[in-house]
Amino acid sequence: MKILVCIKRVVDYNVRIRVKPDGGGVVTDGVKMSMNPFDEIAVEEALRIKEAGNADEIIVVSIGAKQVQEQLRTALAMGADRGIHVETTENIQPLTASRMLLNIAQSEGVDLVLLGKQAIDDDNNQTGQMLAALWDRPQATFASGLSFDGGKATTIREVDAGLEVLEVDLPAVVTVDLRLNEPRYVKLPDMMKAKKKTIDVKTLADLGVEAAPGVSSLGVRPPEGRQAGKKVETVEELVKELQARGLVND
Amino acid sequence: MDFQLSFEQQMILDYGQNLAQSFGSDYWREQSDAQAFPVELWQQIAADGFLGVMVSEEYGGAGLGMTEITLLMEGMSGAGLPLFMMVVGPTMVLSLLDHYGSDSLKQRYLPAGCSGEKVFCFAITEPNAGSNSMAITTLARADGSGFKLSGQKSYITGADAADYALVVARTTPLKDAARKTDGFTLFMVDLKAPGVTIQPMEIPVMIPEKQCEIFFDDVELGPDEVVGEVDRGFGILFDVLNPERIVVAAMAVGLGRYALKKGVEYAGDRKVFGAPIGSHQGLAHPLAHAHTEIEMAALMTYKAAVNFDQGAPAGAEANMAKYFAAEAAIKAVDCSLQVNGGAGFTREVGLLDLYGLVRLLRTIPVSRELLLNYIGEKVMGLPRSY
Repeated sequence: MKILVCIKRVVDYNVRIRVKPDGGGVVTDGVKMSMNPFDEIAVEEALRIKEAGNADEIIVVSIGAKQVQEQLRTALAMGADRGIHVETTENIQPLTASRMLLNIAQSEGVDLVLLGKQAIDDDNNQTGQMLAALWDRPQATFASGLSFDGGKATTIREVDAGLEVLEVDLPAVVTVDLRLNEPRYVKLPDMMKAKKKTIDVKTLADLGVEAAPGVSSLGVRPPEGRQAGKKVETVEELVKELQARGLVND
Repeated sequence: MDFQLSFEQQMILDYGQNLAQSFGSDYWREQSDAQAFPVELWQQIAADGFLGVMVSEEYGGAGLGMTEITLLMEGMSGAGLPLFMMVVGPTMVLSLLDHYGSDSLKQRYLPAGCSGEKVFCFAITEPNAGSNSMAITTLARADGSGFKLSGQKSYITGADAADYALVVARTTPLKDAARKTDGFTLFMVDLKAPGVTIQPMEIPVMIPEKQCEIFFDDVELGPDEVVGEVDRGFGILFDVLNPERIVVAAMAVGLGRYALKKGVEYAGDRKVFGAPIGSHQGLAHPLAHAHTEIEMAALMTYKAAVNFDQGAPAGAEANMAKYFAAEAAIKAVDCSLQVNGGAGFTREVGLLDLYGLVRLLRTIPVSRELLLNYIGEKVMGLPRSY
């Protein structure tokens, strides 16, 4: 089995996000960037699938400026076999990204595409689903468990009512949730090995895709600061207070 | 000049964050409170391949150098894990063995050192020979084909947790040596051997390692345990003492960054009279000042490490880095403590614990005054004072 894992470079989750003064996005200059944490879980899962003898090759792909190669190298250091970098400085939205991934999934002939359920920057939660639709293959999203049997994959999803089990025919798209696994540390010898692994660079034109953003952002602003709270002594007082604010019915 | 870290270097610097996420500040505090060697942490570092950073690949290491271990130590300290055992073992003993050990010594000790199976410490200081290493009196007398070792070492980091010590001894007493730097020999000593007694000292600095005294009473050493050449140990000593200063500087830089992070977070969050306290220059400027000094200290530390790796003289840089980084770290902790107000003194924030530790770094492994003497005399050409 051949696995494609899609990773995105995002502002590190430990960084306190600051909005640019002109409202044109968030500050990324001089800010620590990392692999989207859900994507890291996807890479880890691919490695475990390979280590269990269910995959022969793991390809990692990322879309963006030259710097995304840092995140690809991280994935290679974790143990992925080779990387594909789609180099572009344009604004790439989920539909465009999924078209590129479709091209790669088909040309590489992969059996499984793993993605994070969403990226922590835009929180779109669309790319995996769009890819499955364009590819006309099954999708299982928000996986918190994943196993294989013959040409099928079984996933567990945490839904409101409990655990939902889905079986999909391969090739398929699986997006992963937080509790699927805990990504490994990169070991020093693997960091050294990652240097020697290849990253193929492709352009949008190579993949026959144009950026053509379909959604434009009107502005970004930080959330309103929280107002000071109020302490009440009794339940009656609380109900009264909530009614006065129109938050519960009289 | 190129100030960009390579991919591997960046990952090595970031490694400390991974460790801190797994082990957390509670673990570190508990081990430090008990002065109990953090075995689980050590085994994880070993499993991740970082104990052998400076050891050749054929002996189980990564074959990297000072630059990488410097980044590793800065990153670990910057994540709240300032582990001195990494200084004495992987930085000092393992790298020296890799450079100067016989093949038999390397075979016996390096793979076990890299895998974490055996732990190493370094023993030079004595009750009457601290900064003045010439004055050490621990003596290894020739005895048959080997030696018998007698004497006392003090302030030996982690001797109670270690399996072996690299001991600096005299094979020719000072009075019989033609030059005072003659007659030194370095030995690998099994700390479980008959005649070795280890006595922990009480030093209430918040680190998980104990400082110990080691007593040697006619400890038998085979001829194979000599690292380098008999009577000529002094020549290779600075290949451990400069690295020690460089990684201690890196620890100070990391601790400074760790403290400043706590200061900056609090200064941004804490509001008094309607404004975050960090908006007041009375607090912002000391933080900015401390940050600048930590960055300057980091640059000199990197320069010392890179020089060492390139085989260029690194003594001046190592000494300046260690001097300045310790001073910068003290200021960084002090101003973060001040910014945090009363909260800074709580166990949870932990800045008071760091205070004792960074203050220790002004004194060890070599004092501020001796470093300034070296810089004045050896670097600037001022007249000798002692």
